[in-house]
Amino acid sequence: MHSGSESLIREFVAAIGLTGATVELVSRSPEALKHAVRRVLSGGIEVPSESSGSALLAEPDDLPSELWDPLRNLEQVVDNPPDNQLRSARVGITDAFAGVARTGSVCVAVTAKLGGAVSLFPRSHIAVLEARNIVSRPGDVFTAGQLENKGMKRSFVFITGPSVTADMGELVRGVHGPDHLHIIILEE
Amino acid sequence: MARLRTIPTDQIHPRDVADKSVKGSLERAIRMALEVESGAVRRNTQTFNLGRYQATADIADYEELKDRARAIKEAAIESLSELLATLEASVTSRGGHYYLARDAADACYYIKRICLERRARLVVKAKSMTTEEIGLNGVLEQASIEVVETDLAEFILQVSGEQPSHIVAPAIHRSRERISQLFKAAFETDHPLDSGEDLTRFARDQLREKFLTADIGISGANVIAADTGTLVLVESEGNIRMVTQAPPVHIAVAGVEKVVSRREDLAPFIELLGPSGTGQPLTSYTSVITPPLDFPSFSFGGSPARDRQFHLVLIDNGRMTMREDPVLREALYCIRCSACLNVCANFQTVGGHAFGGETYSGGIGGSWEAGTGTLQKARFTELCTGCSRCVPQCPVRIDIPWLNTVLKSRLDRAGGGVSLQKRFFGNFYHFARWGSRVTPFAGSVLRLSPSRWLLEKMAGVDRRPDLPESAVRPLTRQYRQWRKIQAPSVSHAEQETPHRKALLFADVYTNYTLPQRGMATIKVLECLGVQVELSRVMAEGRATLSQGMIVKAGRRAENTAAYLESRIDQGRDIVVVEPSVLALFRHDYRHLLGNPALFEKLKANSYDPIEYLLKIIGEDELELKQIFNVEETAGGRIFFHGHCQQKTIDATAPTVTLLRQLGFEIDTSSAECCGMAGSFGYKREYHELSMSVGEDLFNQVRQTEIPGGDRTILASGISCCEQIRAGISRRVLHPMELLAEVML
Repeated sequence: MHSGSESLIREFVAAIGLTGATVELVSRSPEALKHAVRRVLSGGIEVPSESSGSALLAEPDDLPSELWDPLRNLEQVVDNPPDNQLRSARVGITDAFAGVARTGSVCVAVTAKLGGAVSLFPRSHIAVLEARNIVSRPGDVFTAGQLENKGMKRSFVFITGPSVTADMGELVRGVHGPDHLHIIILEE
Repeated sequence: MARLRTIPTDQIHPRDVADKSVKGSLERAIRMALEVESGAVRRNTQTFNLGRYQATADIADYEELKDRARAIKEAAIESLSELLATLEASVTSRGGHYYLARDAADACYYIKRICLERRARLVVKAKSMTTEEIGLNGVLEQASIEVVETDLAEFILQVSGEQPSHIVAPAIHRSRERISQLFKAAFETDHPLDSGEDLTRFARDQLREKFLTADIGISGANVIAADTGTLVLVESEGNIRMVTQAPPVHIAVAGVEKVVSRREDLAPFIELLGPSGTGQPLTSYTSVITPPLDFPSFSFGGSPARDRQFHLVLIDNGRMTMREDPVLREALYCIRCSACLNVCANFQTVGGHAFGGETYSGGIGGSWEAGTGTLQKARFTELCTGCSRCVPQCPVRIDIPWLNTVLKSRLDRAGGGVSLQKRFFGNFYHFARWGSRVTPFAGSVLRLSPSRWLLEKMAGVDRRPDLPESAVRPLTRQYRQWRKIQAPSVSHAEQETPHRKALLFADVYTNYTLPQRGMATIKVLECLGVQVELSRVMAEGRATLSQGMIVKAGRRAENTAAYLESRIDQGRDIVVVEPSVLALFRHDYRHLLGNPALFEKLKANSYDPIEYLLKIIGEDELELKQIFNVEETAGGRIFFHGHCQQKTIDATAPTVTLLRQLGFEIDTSSAECCGMAGSFGYKREYHELSMSVGEDLFNQVRQTEIPGGDRTILASGISCCEQIRAGISRRVLHPMELLAEVML
């Protein structure tokens, strides 16, 4: 199967549902992406009331700036956040360089663009992914020639659903990482 | 000397019974676990176990993936010295520090020195069994460094002072209620501490501040790629991501066996760990990082961000010696997924505080406690009954029961010889033969309570369970008499070339204790045109092997194999009624026979009776209604418990298939093992555990009979039959006995 094919997208969307994350498909345009993020920020994601209102925007590792730049002007969005903002942010927005159809995972780079931290500290995480970067299984990320070999070079994290624990005697969402993950897939 | 007082179990702290080299600690730990921890352990492990079956079934190339993982580990351990040199170069070329520690003290000293150099006051830790193994926390705390465990399970253990009870979910022995009690006693807080949500929120708030102010983060590593210095870290909570990203210094501590050659080699382990462990396709977070990370650390308190420092501390601590040991070397392939813990019936019942040592637990745990500590610490391997359910679950194909058999044998040798108890059970063959000669005298003598008292005192045979009784007429005699009657009409001996010839192996259990299942098998097979010869009775090695008496088992295997080969060469298929004996031929003889070709030959030519039946029906294109009274079988209600070792060698499914084809309404047992497991349940010190394991099976029978009433209960193994009979006082048949009854 070619990465990004219709059937991979369908499998990916179905798998995301099983992880406890949410997902939406939008067309690959600055307006559509901005609209989708705005909608999520203005109440699409339920977040605990104790968090303050800011949404942190990581620099994209891969998405082109024409898609990302419009997000900087959104209300609530803190562009280039100082480290202290990580402690209390409500939402973190990052791009993802790969999606894994079988497991419903996204791969977020852990680099100087701070996707690793912005996808970790806030209570909710919005990950933006291009449909053509969906691969079939986790191992494909390590296959030479896939994803421009990004999976073979960089530090990254497979994120599969929200942070969870079963250690306290029952399944609880949201431990040290976000208790909500929302994935936006950009379709050509 | 003062007599040892029996300490009430609520006073036994798991830590007090962690070191199983201490005499009596295993027995005390079992009592404590059965009374206090069994409920939570059972619930949690069985959830993981079910999850693993589902998740691995979803992987189309699961078996190939396991082969790849195994091959990568074999190659890595083989060329470990070269890989370590490559890894050192990878780490240092990126500005990281590499240290190979000889032993626990060396590793702790190095890590303490880094902490002191950095003037660290606070260290946050992710879950790491390796740092449990080397006792790192105590060393750092003695140097006045605050050490905070951030994995919630480890956080609980830090409060309770207990050792891990499971290698993946270390606090699996604590129910929510017991965590709540613990926290309420330990913390003064206005936080509610009742629900899982309360407890998690409380721990998260405590820990969030620690992450932000910590000087150093210490993690483990699940796999390490030598060519790039990349670490894989698998988790669900996010604490590992915090530990590796938030503080300016990251120290990763791992055993040398975690290193594989190349970055692409990480893939099969990432795909296998989640499914094999907790049953998730991937856990929430799988970090694939090559430290030191190439961006400055964060500055949360206003202090300037600092460049990152990374130390990879690899630990030998006995592993290089394990590598030279042909048996313990296998344990180095272990990826710590915990499948062998979750599938194990004994582990499900007591958890790792009984079935485990100070760090490592479960089936694979014995090899690790022995390899990184002393052989005596592996005494809990006695709880491995050899049921073998872990064998097909292991993602790197380690034959864990074999490792445990070898450990038991070494423990006996080190302890001055085989105990009377083990000799008694290991020589079941002689005992059964003697019993059959003096039956019914022997049976009535053994039922007398003074005899049982004596047997318990002398040989550790628990006085409570009924011992298997010798049949009045063993199978060999019944067969001879039956042949005489049958001879004129259906004997195939006169036929020049019978269509099929089989040898029914007269295993000691079928022969002396349950001959009726042997006769049923002979009758059904002959009815299908198979010419059946009954073997002579011989000790094939199962009982001796299960007591860890490897040399003796090997001798018995050689004898038996030579005999069986002569029959195979005559064109006979080998049919074995007792599944534990069939499993011996098809699995364990691999280790016992010095002849791989002979082993493969036995394996390819030996069958479970129903497996054989289905083969004949398929090959000869027979119709069931020509053989069986299908009007009688349709709608009949059955409960079937497959034998543990029979499941492992894939010989259970045919029974279910055939019974379904015959129209039976059949419910199958989901218990991995009945708990009797050969002689295990007869042993004085394990009888209660064995019955507790059996409860799952007993309950299932009770549940399945609530709607619609009684079912015919079928079980293939002799010990399963004995166990079910003991637990719920019901008659249990071998499936062949039922088939003989419904034959036309």
